[in-house]
Amino acid sequence: MIDEPRDVDCHTVIERLYEFLDGELDDDRAAQVRHHLERCAKCLGLSNFEASYIAFLEARARGQGAPPDLKRRILNQLLLGDDSANE
Amino acid sequence: MTENTRRSFEAEALPHLDAVYRVALRLAGDETQAEDLTQETMLKGYRAWPGYRQGTNARAWLLTILRNTFINEYRRDRRAGYTIDISAIEEFTVFRDVQDADPEGSFFSQLVDDDVTRAIDALPDEFRETLVLSDIEGLPYAEIARITDVPVGTVKSRLFRARQALQRELYTYAVDMGYIAKREARS
Repeated sequence: MIDEPRDVDCHTVIERLYEFLDGELDDDRAAQVRHHLERCAKCLGLSNFEASYIAFLEARARGQGAPPDLKRRILNQLLLGDDSANE
Repeated sequence: MTENTRRSFEAEALPHLDAVYRVALRLAGDETQAEDLTQETMLKGYRAWPGYRQGTNARAWLLTILRNTFINEYRRDRRAGYTIDISAIEEFTVFRDVQDADPEGSFFSQLVDDDVTRAIDALPDEFRETLVLSDIEGLPYAEIARITDVPVGTVKSRLFRARQALQRELYTYAVDMGYIAKREARS
């Protein structure tokens, strides 16, 4: 038989919300937050809003990786052994 | 450097070049400096590679070199732009403002990438680096703590404040641009 997660209040859920969304809470605490969200529409609304905000940041702020020219320059320097760059 | 050193550096460190560049770009704030900073980081990493314990965490190792190089040699050159005031941030006030009109935050999708990176660049250094490592690179708190040399609790509070300040900034911008109707001020 699995124990029901201990009830936590809105304040605690809000305090731990980012840790919850980032997957940084341990299993027990994550279960407590999930349990609360199933019962509290207000906290669930906030949680959904913040989750979509974080997903938006991840998608929009990433930009591109290193320019191909920079990759080539670095590779060339490594290939040359690059003792010339030692001061 | 031996051939083996070069080969193991290429196999284990070079795949993180894109991550190093992305973080460098947000730390330095412009592409030319970001390229210089990335190149210097990779070369320093290469020279120090014999001291790296293989298979540990090359990404965190390189990002630590990047951060130290930025602080020691580049930070003073960072152009002075406007800076978001972190101290004025209250908890989850944007949601409070939009929960009736736009509870899903669809106004975010009206913003273009440049709007977002410009606002990130206006965060104070320690908040910007924490947010970039978390939300652009997806690193766990413990790894961010190691790279930025602070306790995990500090990472948590910086990330919280950085996200909230950025959210408020983006919301204000979206209101100014007419992407979302401003909530009636309460009297």
